[in-house]
Amino acid sequence: MSASRIEELQESTSETRSFSLGDLIRRRPETITLMLLVAICVIVTAINPGFLQPSTLIDIGRASVVMGLFALGVFIILAAGGIDVSFTAIAAFTMYSLTVLVLNHFPATPIVVILVAAILGGTLLGVINGLLVYHLKVPSLIVTIGTQYLFRGFLLSFIGTVWIMSLPPQMGAFGRMPLFQFESANGAVVTLPFYFLILPIAALVTWWILNRTLMGRAIFAVGGNANIASRLGYNLRTVQIFLFGYAGALAGLAGIIHVCANRQANPFDLVGTEINVIAAVVLGGARITGGTGTVLGTLLGVLLIVVINSVLVMVGIPSTWQRLVVGIFILLAAAFFVTRQRKK
Amino acid sequence: MLARATSEQGLGRFLELRNIQKWFGGVHALRGIDLTLQLGEAYHLLGENGCGKSTVIKIMSGALEPSAGEIVLDGRTFTALTPIQSLAAGIETVYQDLSLLPNLTVAENVALNEQLVGANGRLARLFDRSRLRQTAERALVTVGLPTDRTFLNTTVSDLPLAARQLVAIARAIATRAKLVIMDEPTTSLTRREVDNLIRVVERLRSENVAVLFVTHKLDECYRIGGHAIVFRDGQCVAQGPIENYSKKQLAELMTGRVIDSERYRTGKPMAAELLNVSRLMAAGVEEVSFGVRQGEILGITGLADSGRNELAMAIAGVEPAGSGTITLEGRDVSIRRPADAIANGIGYVPEDRLAEGLFLDKSIFENEIALIITKLSNALGVVDKEEGRTIAARLSEEMRLNTKDLDLPVGALSGGNQQRVLIGRWLSIAPKLLVLHGPTVGVDVGSKDTIYRAIQSLAEAGMGLIIVSDDLPELLQNADRILVMNNGRVVAEFDAEQATEDQLYRAMLTSKMETVQ
Repeated sequence: MSASRIEELQESTSETRSFSLGDLIRRRPETITLMLLVAICVIVTAINPGFLQPSTLIDIGRASVVMGLFALGVFIILAAGGIDVSFTAIAAFTMYSLTVLVLNHFPATPIVVILVAAILGGTLLGVINGLLVYHLKVPSLIVTIGTQYLFRGFLLSFIGTVWIMSLPPQMGAFGRMPLFQFESANGAVVTLPFYFLILPIAALVTWWILNRTLMGRAIFAVGGNANIASRLGYNLRTVQIFLFGYAGALAGLAGIIHVCANRQANPFDLVGTEINVIAAVVLGGARITGGTGTVLGTLLGVLLIVVINSVLVMVGIPSTWQRLVVGIFILLAAAFFVTRQRKK
Repeated sequence: MLARATSEQGLGRFLELRNIQKWFGGVHALRGIDLTLQLGEAYHLLGENGCGKSTVIKIMSGALEPSAGEIVLDGRTFTALTPIQSLAAGIETVYQDLSLLPNLTVAENVALNEQLVGANGRLARLFDRSRLRQTAERALVTVGLPTDRTFLNTTVSDLPLAARQLVAIARAIATRAKLVIMDEPTTSLTRREVDNLIRVVERLRSENVAVLFVTHKLDECYRIGGHAIVFRDGQCVAQGPIENYSKKQLAELMTGRVIDSERYRTGKPMAAELLNVSRLMAAGVEEVSFGVRQGEILGITGLADSGRNELAMAIAGVEPAGSGTITLEGRDVSIRRPADAIANGIGYVPEDRLAEGLFLDKSIFENEIALIITKLSNALGVVDKEEGRTIAARLSEEMRLNTKDLDLPVGALSGGNQQRVLIGRWLSIAPKLLVLHGPTVGVDVGSKDTIYRAIQSLAEAGMGLIIVSDDLPELLQNADRILVMNNGRVVAEFDAEQATEDQLYRAMLTSKMETVQ
């Protein structure tokens, strides 16, 4: 490294303002996700113009909520260099126990209290994850594989295995409550449910935490290098507990929305969809090794997966192909990000 | 021998260590350190690798707890500091590994800590972007880095190493520091950047900030001036104004034995030509031709961008050459990858031994036999461990490793010993030619001595050696001939016995202007 390199640096920084797509993609890998998303939408619309109907778009929006909440939690943990696979079990645990509790003991609980209880329940389970990750000094993947089994095992052994088909009425009502409604061309009533709002709000809150608070910077610092971050004075214990607690809160919320939206509580639900969510986050440009990614990218990744899941049928591709397509996209996007990074 | 620092009762007394002890398991790393640091002074903490320097720094910065003793900081007594306490009191450390967060921006790396310390480590606080930028700009100007928005928002992993080193220094001075500790801050800086750093240090001292250097580069210590603190085996063996000690005295204090800085090279090259490189072209290397005889030690130097690194890597197959011929013992050889070089008997000890050379979490034994693992295994792929151990023990003996425990992970060894393991590994395949790239970077005086002696005995045995290095005394002491590279070409050749450092420097720098003209 010679002096001339630093001088070059000084000179080049003034030039690099000019726009370059490659540079943009390297800085904001979610551009690729957006481009893929737009490409798919254009292709699908060309084959089947029915895709652009409001009802399809609203279906996509509705289908994104649970996955989006999960994905925000996964993303924030990934940003700090960890990984979580227990969030589905946390969601299943909170949603089912809470439904049982409300149904059998507190039938009059208002929905707001139920939502808050779901958030608190999820936070509690998440904090257990965080404490284990910090104190056992074991990679979070191992810890959360363990707690996924633990939470789910506890749920099925002690709380119940019965599929609840008739929800407490206030939960069902929340699932149906419209944000807005209109009549589509063929006369059917299309509803964007109220709970859809929760996703953008959660995304905003997550964005705000990550970009406007010291905790947010600490999360990325830990994701960059945990040892160095701790040497610089970041308290790893606080960060881990916050991270997993926050992801747990989002999971609890997602779980209860899942119940309300589907109007049934199945204790066997959700667990098994982790990989789908992690795939969405990675497609959104977050590196699996941590320290990078954006909230917007995460949402785009979720949209991409949801769109693939819901539109393949519209263009006449069997739904069994869905995984194939998602798999190809992940490999393509990964290969693309990696080569971009090497080129610098 | 024990000279105390002057004016012990100064008002500027900032940090005092009293009888600090540190045990790591059964190892007594610090055996009662007493040290007083005053504001506005410069200190040079000197000693061999493994003497306890890093441990003391980590205790000051709160990364380690002492086993016994007390720390008096700004009049308050502690048994141990936390990182936040230490930072809040104004102790900033530039670690050897720079401790930058690669995924964050320059501005964040420089100035985020100010806010973290301001919040006393609590994270439930808003993060002030405009203050971040102001603090970062102020600090970057001081170390001579750009301050425009693009640079501030550059991710640190995209910066060259020298710029990263300056960013790390900028972070240390971004806050109102009272003591700045710099652990080998100049390893990747050029002369001009070092000059700039020295100005920064002078400025800090005039602002009544104490600066503690940890370094192996004695010349820089003399230029900066101040107090020398010499450690040996976890004890402080000397303290006092650095100008009271000669280089030789300091080296002896550090090692506890007499080190002569005479020429190591005693042997003579043989007549037979071993290697001939003709019109070699590679990225950054323009038509380089030279030869190495058996038993000869050839030094190659130049500025970092002169092509010397690329030349070494081309011969070793790490970054293969574009064109030109390499002849070994009269036979043309094609070297497209490291395996080709190894097959032809060319060994390469890379500059960055941690990243490129060693398996840090594997044992000495496993590292030493890494190249001969196929030879040691039978038809079923089972490795003959007994044979391997015998060989590893012999290599460690030859390289004078300071431990007999071959199961120790290499990561636990000092830099000098790691380098010896790496060279020892190459000896296992008895190469005809060994290319050593910066063989003593980050290695202390005592280890240098051992490595130089080993290099000489390899040459005695008929091996050809190429040392690529910017440590000029190293080349002058060890080589037969020295080639100076510039702008990808060999611009001068010196007889190492006659040449002086000054001549080499001039060839490195002035010929650059000639080639430009």
